[in-house]
Amino acid sequence: MNTAISISGLKALLPFLIMTAAAMVVMLGIAFRRDHRFTVLLTLAGLALGGGSLVFTPFAPDRYVTTLVLVDAFAGYYLALLFAAAFAVVCLSYSYLEIQGGHREEYYLLVLLAVLGAAVLAAATHFASFFLGIEILSVSLYGLTAYQRHRDQSVEAGVKYLILAAVSSAFILFGMALVYAEVGSMEFARIAIRAGAAGGALLGTGLVLIIVGLGFKLAVVPFHLWTPDVYEGAPAPVTAFIATVSKGAVFALVLRFFGNMDIRVGGALFLIFTIIAVASMFFGNLLALMQQNVKRVLAYSSISHIGYLLVTLLAAGPLRLNASAFYLAAYFVTTLGVFGVVTVLSTRDRDADKLDDYRGLAWRRPWLAGVFTAMLLSLAGIPLTAGFIAKFYLVAAGIGSALWLLVIVLIVNSAIGLFYYLRIIGAVYSMDGPPGPSMPISLSGSAALGGLTLALLWLGIYPGPFLALIGSLMQTAH
Amino acid sequence: MILAWLIIIPLAGGVAAWAAGRKDGHWPRRLSLAALLIDAVLFVVIWRDAATEPALARGTWLAELHLNWIPQFGIGIHLAMDGLSLVLVGLTLFLGMLSILCSWTEIRDRIGFFHANVMAILAGILGVFLSLDLFLFYFFWELMLVPMYFLIAIWGHENRQYASLKFFIFTQAGGLFMLLSILALYFIHHAGTGVYTFDYSLLLGTPLAPMTSLLVMLGFLISFVVKLPMVPFHPWLPDAHTEAPTAGSVILAGLLLKTGAYGIIRFVLPLFPLTAPVIAPAMQAFAVIGILYGALLSFAQTDLKRLVAYTSVSHMGFVLLGIFAMNTTSLQGAVMQMLAHGVSTGALFILVGLVQERMHTRDMERMGGLWSAVPRLSGMALVFGLAALGLPGFGNFVAEFLVLLGTYRMSPATAAIAAAGLVLSAVYALWMVQRAFQGNRRWSGSLPDLSLRETGIMALLVIAIFWLGLYPGRVLDITRPLVSTMQFIPPSANQLDARTGGPAHDRMP
Amino acid sequence: MIHQIIFLYFATVILVSALLMITRRNPIHSVLFMLLLFFHIAGLFVLLNAEFLAAVQLIVYAGAILILYLFVVMLLNVDQERQSVRANRFWPWVAAFGVLIAGEILLLISRSTFPGDAGKTMATPGAGVMELGQALYTQYLVPFEIASVILLVGLIGAVMLAKKAVKE
Repeated sequence: MNTAISISGLKALLPFLIMTAAAMVVMLGIAFRRDHRFTVLLTLAGLALGGGSLVFTPFAPDRYVTTLVLVDAFAGYYLALLFAAAFAVVCLSYSYLEIQGGHREEYYLLVLLAVLGAAVLAAATHFASFFLGIEILSVSLYGLTAYQRHRDQSVEAGVKYLILAAVSSAFILFGMALVYAEVGSMEFARIAIRAGAAGGALLGTGLVLIIVGLGFKLAVVPFHLWTPDVYEGAPAPVTAFIATVSKGAVFALVLRFFGNMDIRVGGALFLIFTIIAVASMFFGNLLALMQQNVKRVLAYSSISHIGYLLVTLLAAGPLRLNASAFYLAAYFVTTLGVFGVVTVLSTRDRDADKLDDYRGLAWRRPWLAGVFTAMLLSLAGIPLTAGFIAKFYLVAAGIGSALWLLVIVLIVNSAIGLFYYLRIIGAVYSMDGPPGPSMPISLSGSAALGGLTLALLWLGIYPGPFLALIGSLMQTAH
Repeated sequence: MILAWLIIIPLAGGVAAWAAGRKDGHWPRRLSLAALLIDAVLFVVIWRDAATEPALARGTWLAELHLNWIPQFGIGIHLAMDGLSLVLVGLTLFLGMLSILCSWTEIRDRIGFFHANVMAILAGILGVFLSLDLFLFYFFWELMLVPMYFLIAIWGHENRQYASLKFFIFTQAGGLFMLLSILALYFIHHAGTGVYTFDYSLLLGTPLAPMTSLLVMLGFLISFVVKLPMVPFHPWLPDAHTEAPTAGSVILAGLLLKTGAYGIIRFVLPLFPLTAPVIAPAMQAFAVIGILYGALLSFAQTDLKRLVAYTSVSHMGFVLLGIFAMNTTSLQGAVMQMLAHGVSTGALFILVGLVQERMHTRDMERMGGLWSAVPRLSGMALVFGLAALGLPGFGNFVAEFLVLLGTYRMSPATAAIAAAGLVLSAVYALWMVQRAFQGNRRWSGSLPDLSLRETGIMALLVIAIFWLGLYPGRVLDITRPLVSTMQFIPPSANQLDARTGGPAHDRMP
Repeated sequence: MIHQIIFLYFATVILVSALLMITRRNPIHSVLFMLLLFFHIAGLFVLLNAEFLAAVQLIVYAGAILILYLFVVMLLNVDQERQSVRANRFWPWVAAFGVLIAGEILLLISRSTFPGDAGKTMATPGAGVMELGQALYTQYLVPFEIASVILLVGLIGAVMLAKKAVKE
């Protein structure tokens, strides 16, 4: 394998280079002219350029740029997803920060850098890129989570996230060291071969430690304790970012890292992931039932959703990558939509996270309520929405691999989940809400929500073309 | 394509009604009614074809539509209509129009959204009656739920939150079992043939091991009997029916319950021809329990609407009995009962709605002596009370008679116990009329009698129930091809001769 | 033999100074023990022929980070808080947990073979820096560049959080 970077290698790195350059340009732009709208436009242009560059990026199944980064169709798909999600988050953030005081511009810098970290994760095939990606993402998120410095909750959430992310990084690093001690390589492919053959105690321990660290990032049970507090405390668009970009990128990495390993039925890894998945589904849903705060409900619901998603990791065959790709796309759209509604309803003083904020929303703002309802129904997995097709795909993948226990748990949990989604929907349509609209929704916010709703319905009603796209992309990735 | 229009027009009408509702209260009603009238025209076109064409005799589909939808999963838009679908579509459109008419004055706020929901439910129900792709079927099955939830949760009565949630959870949980079974069938079919498909006609012949077959069938069955509802899965019904607005109750009782029965006839029996007879005796037992239990409980109610709701449990027991008696006579009876119950219970719910609109109570203890105040309304209540108890001349009589006749051939004892349900139904129907409409007045003031619109609604219902009762031949003819081509493999050989493989020769005399 | 004695010396001092560091009440003493610790870790790197790492250890940790710590401790006048209780009532549990983890790791190491180290992870004496430089600028160029971004992120985050609130 060529160790130096060739011109074609640089071409393959184009999206990453553009993201880095965008961060630089935005930073200089802020120095040059501190203007919220200007910064947002620069950021959006950078993300659009990064997304556009994917068209020219030469994806290939063996396009390794050194041994650290693999720019194949799998990475390409997730890069596109991450960029698109970040684009939506920036649109929502604009409307959120516009009504806040203080310096708002650095926020976008951190978003761009976090996206870069996420992008590195999606393409990582080596411990070095894995760890650096995680760190860039996490460090940016510390800042973003605590961005509302004047709110105690936000600062508290930032500190919590800082400590837990640092702990999880330590776990990952220690795990990597142990794996390296046994395998003598930091490349995923070699580790997978070794793990498949005769993994020793060191390798096993190392993998478990890495799972623990990644579990924190994915917020799966029992590593989920930070989630509700951070979701509640962080500014709403940042919560959306954590729920989508951060988790999506880490899950892409999980697929890449563990996907090559032989997760046999009955093996230790299979058992660990099954326990995590089942626990996440149950705890996430049951704890969500007891919440009064909408952001906390969504936090627990996201825990259960990652639990559902883990089913794809355990499924065998070609359905695995396709199902997780589609599920993540649907989950991104839905989650961004839900938090988007929370974002546009938030005021200068606090985020709209009480159930009362939504009481009677349907009669004050029918369109917004319609979007919110559609998103919640999608989370619940009701037909006509992306969430239904996604869940259907998961169940199909699970049954295809005869994972009956997981599929049944998934279905039982879908029924449990309905309770709390319906409770929110019930509040939205209740007759006793406060009267009159309070403030108009910004153009960027409504544009983002409109786009997300269209995507939701498109994926839910006519998913054929998108499934075909995923199919062709993931085929080459295999 | 006409089948797709049958579903699209109500949906479009609903969207238009929603949009119109922001300006003015009357346009949503007119638009919804117009959409259903257009649908009714389409229906009449198909009905006329069905009557003239020899298609009826051949037992093939009267109309069919097959398009690709999600080819990666083998999902298509496969709609088809046979006699059974036809009559149920007719019932849907009929009751749909009546439920729009009967909420003309009852619903006074969020009119646009109300009609959007009603139309979405109707579209979902039409989709269920027409889908031949299992995925599409599930899709429409779920499509009915959310708007129904809204209908109860927003425009319902005192306890609406509880009732709507209960309704949703029950039916959704059942639906998920069905999804599991559909997927199992899908994968088993793929394992056997290498083809991924949800198409009913392709899945029909899927060979299943006995145990697998039983489990997969139970998944379908649970979902359907929750909807039906079969007794122990009925607790959602009295709450949902009682708390729903009148239109919601009419649609629930008249149409939604029928989707469960339809599902059993269309999917459970043909997909599992070998396994269904195995559980038939158990299902018959549940059906009989339902008949008696529903009748007894309805007798015990003081809430007029709840009383009517429990009669549904009893009447749908006859449908279940007819289906699982598994011969053509009983099955025809079941179909007939679906129609007759739709009309008669729909009428009763509308009447209760009218009473409630006037008296602002459903409590029979506070009624009494209504006859002298509102003679036309009370007269109608008597008519449909008699229909509910199965008096000859009404559609319910034909239906229950056929069911009992068919059951008697299979098991005289079952038929005898079920017939006791008829006695009980006479008790509760007359008891209702006596307590609410006759006797002493336990209220004061004066009430208006039926208006012109309300009289019109009731007249249509009366015509329908008598038509079913006095001239059932037409409906029986149209539904016969399906039920007679259905091959029943009897548990014992003394009934139908299925070994020849041909259609059963057990026709209506 | 002499190798092992030197190793034992470094290891003992590391352990002792680590313990002292977390038990001292005066934060300045703690920082100074940490300095001692870092020096001895650098010694371990030298033993492994990793001179470059030893130098980095001294320059970065001892030279930069610890000095920063000292500044912070002195500027904040943490000295006043030295009377506060540093160990709370949970400390026996924490200690037990630590012993447990240590025991597990010892067990793991004693039970394991290290097939990966087949002579290649140990640097040859004197050649470390050049090899490292070559690796960093060829094979590991991407992470090297990415690592610089982490510093940028940290910088921005810190500035953003620390700056004074603007008045409207």
